[in-house]
Amino acid sequence: MSKPVTIIMIEDDEGHARLIERNIRRAGVNNEIVPFNNGTDAVRYLFGADGSGLAQRGRALLILLDLNLPDMTGIEILRRIKENKCLKRSPVVVLTTTDDSQEIQRCYELGCNVYIVKPVNYESFANAIRQLGLFFSVIQVPRT
Amino acid sequence: MTPDLRRRRALGQILLFAAGLLVLTVISAGSVYLVNKARDDNAWVLHAIEVQNQVNALLLQIRRAESSARGYLLTSGQQFLSDHETSVAAIMPAVDKLAATTRHNPVQAESVKLLRAALEKRLAQFAQEISLIKQDDRAGATALVREAAAGDPTGIIRAVATGMISAEEQLFAQRTANADRSQTLAASMTGIGSGLVVVLACIAVWLVRRSTRARDKAEALLRDANVHLEATVDERTADLREANDEIQRFAYIVSHDLRAPLVNIMGFTSELEELGKDIFRRIASLTRNSAAAPVAASADGAGLVLDDPDRQLSQDFSEALSFIKSSIGKMDRLITAILNLTREGRREFEPIMIDMREQIEAIVTTIAHQAAEANAQIRIDPLPDITSDRLAIEQIFSNLIDNAIKYLKPGVPGQITVRGRSKLGYAIFEVTDNGRGIDPKDHQRIFDLFRRAGTQDKPGQGIGLAHVRALVRRLGGTMSVQSELNAGSTFTITLPIKWNASNRNRES
Repeated sequence: MSKPVTIIMIEDDEGHARLIERNIRRAGVNNEIVPFNNGTDAVRYLFGADGSGLAQRGRALLILLDLNLPDMTGIEILRRIKENKCLKRSPVVVLTTTDDSQEIQRCYELGCNVYIVKPVNYESFANAIRQLGLFFSVIQVPRT
Repeated sequence: MTPDLRRRRALGQILLFAAGLLVLTVISAGSVYLVNKARDDNAWVLHAIEVQNQVNALLLQIRRAESSARGYLLTSGQQFLSDHETSVAAIMPAVDKLAATTRHNPVQAESVKLLRAALEKRLAQFAQEISLIKQDDRAGATALVREAAAGDPTGIIRAVATGMISAEEQLFAQRTANADRSQTLAASMTGIGSGLVVVLACIAVWLVRRSTRARDKAEALLRDANVHLEATVDERTADLREANDEIQRFAYIVSHDLRAPLVNIMGFTSELEELGKDIFRRIASLTRNSAAAPVAASADGAGLVLDDPDRQLSQDFSEALSFIKSSIGKMDRLITAILNLTREGRREFEPIMIDMREQIEAIVTTIAHQAAEANAQIRIDPLPDITSDRLAIEQIFSNLIDNAIKYLKPGVPGQITVRGRSKLGYAIFEVTDNGRGIDPKDHQRIFDLFRRAGTQDKPGQGIGLAHVRALVRRLGGTMSVQSELNAGSTFTITLPIKWNASNRNRES
């Protein structure tokens, strides 16, 4: 993954955030990771104070999104990202505990690029995140 | 209206009807009898008049005979003689007729006998008179006439005739009174009877109207109750559905939210395990370094050996972690089970016609291997076909047959039978085994989620029967168990044969 790509991690559970970050690093990904533990802050960061998304113009972003957030649903954030002119090209990886088929369908319909269910078994979890990290290291991310 | 009251009312109506019929019969019979009696009475009245007439006619003939005899005596005219002969000839037939008419009345018959005797004597006198006149013995004849007029026979005749007439007059009066009484009786009988019939009819009409009113009222009540009941049922169904939905949502959210911390616990436990390995490796290398020469400076530390107390620490550390990890694994399986259950609870059913025998045979085929291992025979009796959800039916019966195989008595060949019959629109299926059985006090418990009964020597989460019962209920059926410890078990499932639209499918 080209250097300037920033990983935005929206994950309310700090433990999960820590485990995800650790395992991504273990895959050799050294990109900047910007963590958010609630939807409001993440939305403000992504879309800026005016909500236009122009603030992120020209940056390469990869978004890691949890669906269960305390203040809003991840699906709402996903919908706004994919409706925004600037952000819609940024890859969104939904990483959540929900394995409900309807939820998965809905996310892909809204334009999510990857949907990963967090395995409870840590070995599988670590493995999944590490593979995701490897995936990050090879994909091309467009600029907004 | 209570059944008792209804029966009493019906009985009352029958009694009323019977009474009406009886009254009508009595009136008819009485009327016929009384009318006949009145006619008889009238006939007797006429009879009395007839007797009087005949007596009078007889007396008249005698007078004519007497007067014509006198005329002949005075004038010797042939005209009087023939008159006299006609009259005399008519007298005896008139007496015969009178005798015939009064023969049933002994008093009058006796009178007629007297009359006849007197008349015979009188007729003899007549004959004597006429013969004297013919011989021209006028003085003799006159004397005879005079004697006869004052003589016995004439007096007897007059007295007897008068007696008969007065007797008949008495009879006439008496019979007229009788006839009047009969007619009055007939009239009053008819009147009272008609009145009674009218009264009975009125009572009947009143009863019918009352029962009609009661029926209308009951119908109205029933209609109200039905409407009310439907509304109540709808309301309750909606409430239940809502409550059920809420429970499902709750279970879903809880199991979901429980999973997130579990990921952390599992994750950091694993991290801790790695950390522990690192720490003990370092301890080992430090101990080695301080104790002797730097022999094993290799980074992987594979050859490092801990001292006894340190090894003990390391083992305790690993043991603690392994307990935590196995507990997490168990918790994860439970949460997954709840999730699956709630997901199953939200699945839409697709009713199709199911050939039950084929379905059960298919299930038996899939678990034939386990059955062979457990030395179990599975027999399928003829089963009624039903319209239901195939997947649900498959899950229900494979769970039950699976359990039957799983909980057989060790060392005893298994006998598992699937039976079926239909009753009142429901199909009743029975899965019977000769396995270890279930203590009656556990019969409720085995249907509870995560609860199991008996010796815990088989793997399982305590989900199967809870799931089966939930499915059966959603299909609109019921299930129960009969079992004794060490005496096998029979699980009975009752399912509707026809799919009805109100089966608990979500209305989304």
